[in-house]
Amino acid sequence: MGSLSSAWNVFYEQMITKGGYKTALQGLFTTIEIAVLGLVIGIILGTLIALVKVMPKNNPAVKIGSVICDVYVGFFRGTPMVVQLLLGYFVLLPMLGVSSDAVVVAIIIFGLNSGAYVSEIMRAGIQSVDPGQLEAGRAVGLPFWPAMLKIVIPQSIKNILPTLGNEFIVLIKETSVVSFIAVVDLTKAFKSIGDATYEYILPYVMLALVYLILVLFVTYLIKLMERRLRRNERTV
Amino acid sequence: MNAPYKMPEGIILSAQNLKKSFGDNEVLRGLNLDIRNGEVIAIIGPSGCGKSTFLRCLNCMEDPTSGSIFFDGDDIADVRININTHRENIGMVFQQFNLFNNKTVIENIMLAPVYVGVRNYRQAKRKNGWIKFGNLFRKNKKDLLPLPTTPAQVKKQAHERAMQLLRRIGLEEKATVYPSTLSGGQKQRIAIVRALAMNPKVMLFDEPTSALDPEMVGEVLDLIKELANEGMTMVIVTHEMGFARETADRILFMDGGVIAEEAPPQEFFSNPKNERTKEFLSKVL
Repeated sequence: MGSLSSAWNVFYEQMITKGGYKTALQGLFTTIEIAVLGLVIGIILGTLIALVKVMPKNNPAVKIGSVICDVYVGFFRGTPMVVQLLLGYFVLLPMLGVSSDAVVVAIIIFGLNSGAYVSEIMRAGIQSVDPGQLEAGRAVGLPFWPAMLKIVIPQSIKNILPTLGNEFIVLIKETSVVSFIAVVDLTKAFKSIGDATYEYILPYVMLALVYLILVLFVTYLIKLMERRLRRNERTV
Repeated sequence: MNAPYKMPEGIILSAQNLKKSFGDNEVLRGLNLDIRNGEVIAIIGPSGCGKSTFLRCLNCMEDPTSGSIFFDGDDIADVRININTHRENIGMVFQQFNLFNNKTVIENIMLAPVYVGVRNYRQAKRKNGWIKFGNLFRKNKKDLLPLPTTPAQVKKQAHERAMQLLRRIGLEEKATVYPSTLSGGQKQRIAIVRALAMNPKVMLFDEPTSALDPEMVGEVLDLIKELANEGMTMVIVTHEMGFARETADRILFMDGGVIAEEAPPQEFFSNPKNERTKEFLSKVL
């Protein structure tokens, strides 16, 4: 027990006295920032792609759009996230000649990556809604997009919320690879705390706990949302 | 685009040489139908004869493969025509009700009127913006378009109209519940008033009672009869022979993708001419 208590003392000193908690909080914030904004971009992008995929293919523009979406989804699902981050930060940025914050690059790459996955989730969700719902919307005179946005997508969201929550959780955990492009996220922050003293046990245990709490919290939020969305299924 | 089609006097919807194929399967083989204002038409026939497809072609829920459908001076089968504004005037009632599950009953009824009202308001505002901009350079100032009702008024009016319609079918206490809590007959009657909320010129019924429990068929048919008596123009695909005989002005018997026989109900049921009609009637009556 002695070694553990001395390890605790070292960790305490590193975290509190030397201000390590600031790094940790900063890292936590970055992690949440990348995951949340990535998911927002992903949902918007994924919804658009899913809509292009389910649109009636009687229009050449839709066909071309559909092929572009296939290529996009194929690329982002076919390569590891780390590789996409490296490509984005070390290849694409210099090629375009722009300098940008690594966090921004991470957010965009995470958004693009999750967009590819969300598009498939969304498509399944849209197709799970009875086609009669869209038909009824069109029959009263709503154009395709308003009918989709007002009637079909709200119902599909309800069906896919658990899967979408899963995607968010995966995204939160996957942010741990952004240190490849020198972003200080939660993992990087705790690693640097450990690096300062070569005492890794507590920082890494704490790191795991923080991720766990974060994910459990998100799980709880999703459950609340699901319950609210299922309102219209309850019988009075 | 062609010059607007001149509708013959008293004809509200006209299908001409309508054909529809699904792949190699030719479902409709050239149908002609003129629907007169205020007329109630019942379409009957064996299953798979294309009656539902025909009805769904009339408001382009299914795009016809060839042929024309004239409504309000436009050929709505033409893909260049904005079908949505025409569909506002063609009500449709489905076999499976298709109430919007994510909306309450009153929201179901208000959705389309509010959408259309708000859209018209925005369009008028946008046009006025351009006129104002143009007036900066014009000697003779152009007058602004009158603004239609504001979105708030639109919502209020749509709500009043929806409540009035619900009172009519005796379901005003169901205004704020979700469709999943209603019986089939209630759902279908609400689906009918949802279509009515747009004040359509013609209503299409796709087997409105086929998915209902027997004891609920009556309430739905009574509502449709009421509409018929008020002079609503209707096309009804149905298996209810008694109802068709009682309500319709004209019966169409479809078989194999064509209209095999067409007659007023008395004549149709008492003195069918076509062999297929006789065979069909002997089975169902």
